[in-house]
Amino acid sequence: MTKIGITTTVPVEIIIAAGYEPIDLNNIFITSDEAAGLVEKAEEAGYPRNICGWIKGIYAAVVNSGNVNKVIAVTQGDCSNTHALMETLQLADIDTIPFAYPYDRDYDLLKLQMDKLITSLGTDWQSVKNVHRRLRLVRQKVAEIDRLSWQKNLVSSVDNHYFHVCCSDFNGNVQKFEQEVDNYIQSVTNASPHSEKLRLGFVGVPPIFTDLYLYLEQMGARVVFNEVQRQFAMPYDIADIVEQYRSYTYPYGVFPRIEDIQAEIDRRNIAGIIHYVQSFCFRQIEDMIFRQKLDVPILTIEGDKPGKLDARTKLRIDSFLEMLS
Amino acid sequence: MFCGIDLGSRYVKMVIMRGNNIVDTKIMDTIRFYKEYGRLENGSLTVNFAAIGINIPPSIVATGYGRNTVAISGATVLAELKAHTIGAAWQTGLTDFTLLDLGGQDSKVIKVRSARMVDFDTNDKCAASTGRYLENMAQVLGIQLTELSDYYQNPVELNTTCAIFGESELINKIVAGYSLPELAAGVNLSIFKRIKPMLTALKSDTIVFTGGVALGKAIKVFVEQELGVEVVVPQHPQLNGAIGCAVYGGENYAVRD
Repeated sequence: MTKIGITTTVPVEIIIAAGYEPIDLNNIFITSDEAAGLVEKAEEAGYPRNICGWIKGIYAAVVNSGNVNKVIAVTQGDCSNTHALMETLQLADIDTIPFAYPYDRDYDLLKLQMDKLITSLGTDWQSVKNVHRRLRLVRQKVAEIDRLSWQKNLVSSVDNHYFHVCCSDFNGNVQKFEQEVDNYIQSVTNASPHSEKLRLGFVGVPPIFTDLYLYLEQMGARVVFNEVQRQFAMPYDIADIVEQYRSYTYPYGVFPRIEDIQAEIDRRNIAGIIHYVQSFCFRQIEDMIFRQKLDVPILTIEGDKPGKLDARTKLRIDSFLEMLS
Repeated sequence: MFCGIDLGSRYVKMVIMRGNNIVDTKIMDTIRFYKEYGRLENGSLTVNFAAIGINIPPSIVATGYGRNTVAISGATVLAELKAHTIGAAWQTGLTDFTLLDLGGQDSKVIKVRSARMVDFDTNDKCAASTGRYLENMAQVLGIQLTELSDYYQNPVELNTTCAIFGESELINKIVAGYSLPELAAGVNLSIFKRIKPMLTALKSDTIVFTGGVALGKAIKVFVEQELGVEVVVPQHPQLNGAIGCAVYGGENYAVRD
């Protein structure tokens, strides 16, 4: 099956309906044994040092893959660096298709974007709706993992993160992923609940640190809410696929996200928020809005390149957890 | 007797307390401390207190930058910001304040209410607002750090984000003919400007100012003048974290004394 790379979550139903295999390039990059080396490769190609590590990782992941020749790039609703990423990929003879989430969440404009993608990939709305119905069943199961995380304390921070981020591309194989989800739910249902005393929320793009969740649990805290990852999984179970991607908070500015975060802080009894920001990302500015609007303590941590937590970030996490306990 | 150790990036600070009194203090270069007085045994750092010239204390509480990588054998580890909060509250007798600690590679701002840390911010990814920057600039100007950190009048404007490029900017200002006091004041003002957003966000009516940088008067003056707040520099600004550790030890292990 021909692979199509995606730079972030897009209406994956369209890709699958068109008979392609979706590949979230972020996941390819960060799970690579050579993740740090991919960033270096992008820098050797000419990417500036002071540019987001994810963008560089995606660039090198595509150029080095040898089997990703087509990429859907989200040009609005994620990050403007993607424009230059798309252009440098074109320079490397990769076919790129732009997709733009309308900033004002306009239903018709979003539907038009989906229409264009459907035409571009050569499928139709009926096929897309069929895939949508199929994926809703899987999404409901991932929502169950989320419920088991915060309501039953049966899911670790990193597992909650993992199953949600996988929903951007369903690991390229819906059936296999669904089986993995089923097996996981079965395995934790009769397990002993986690006993960490501190309940945290994680807000922001997925961390480039590879051991953040593990470290938090070692220090006696557990993440019971992964904000953006949960949004990737489309948690609201909406029958209208356009409405589903309109309810997805991440691409439309910070205020809808804050409503979602505050509601989940209350519902999940969260003591503090870890706000992850990527070095050189415009979303760092939004930290000031979170601090003004959310009524729980917030620790902002910044990551640049892939790898383990540095001593300084650990020191800040330790102090934050100490403050909350 | 209780020993508090603050393993800083530039200096290791040690404080011995008996009851409510500080009976001995030591400030040692960090590299020298690890090279001459520490050895790794079973993954823990064993410190030769006798060689340092300190009676072996029964109870040690340690904190600081090094504690993530080196655990002192037999010591209780205390989160760094908590150690500084306890130290500042003990030294000043205050319960509601904002602590500004400027150390070797650290800028910390901690909001304290009822003697508890309720919010904090620290420098991250960049150490251009710390003591090490001042040391480098003192070297460029050919003066001691203690002298540099006293100047605050007629500061020259220094805009470079990077502490290293800041050196060449300073050299340009020297060539342009600015006086030493103006140059030094500019260096101090550039530090203040970098910490001002953190300090403004977590401001209190009283700022307790600690860390090695608090030994000079320039930053204190800038904070007072620009933010209109009272700035208290406790008796031992550089030892604040170590004092916090010793006080914590005293409170938690008094039974064993």
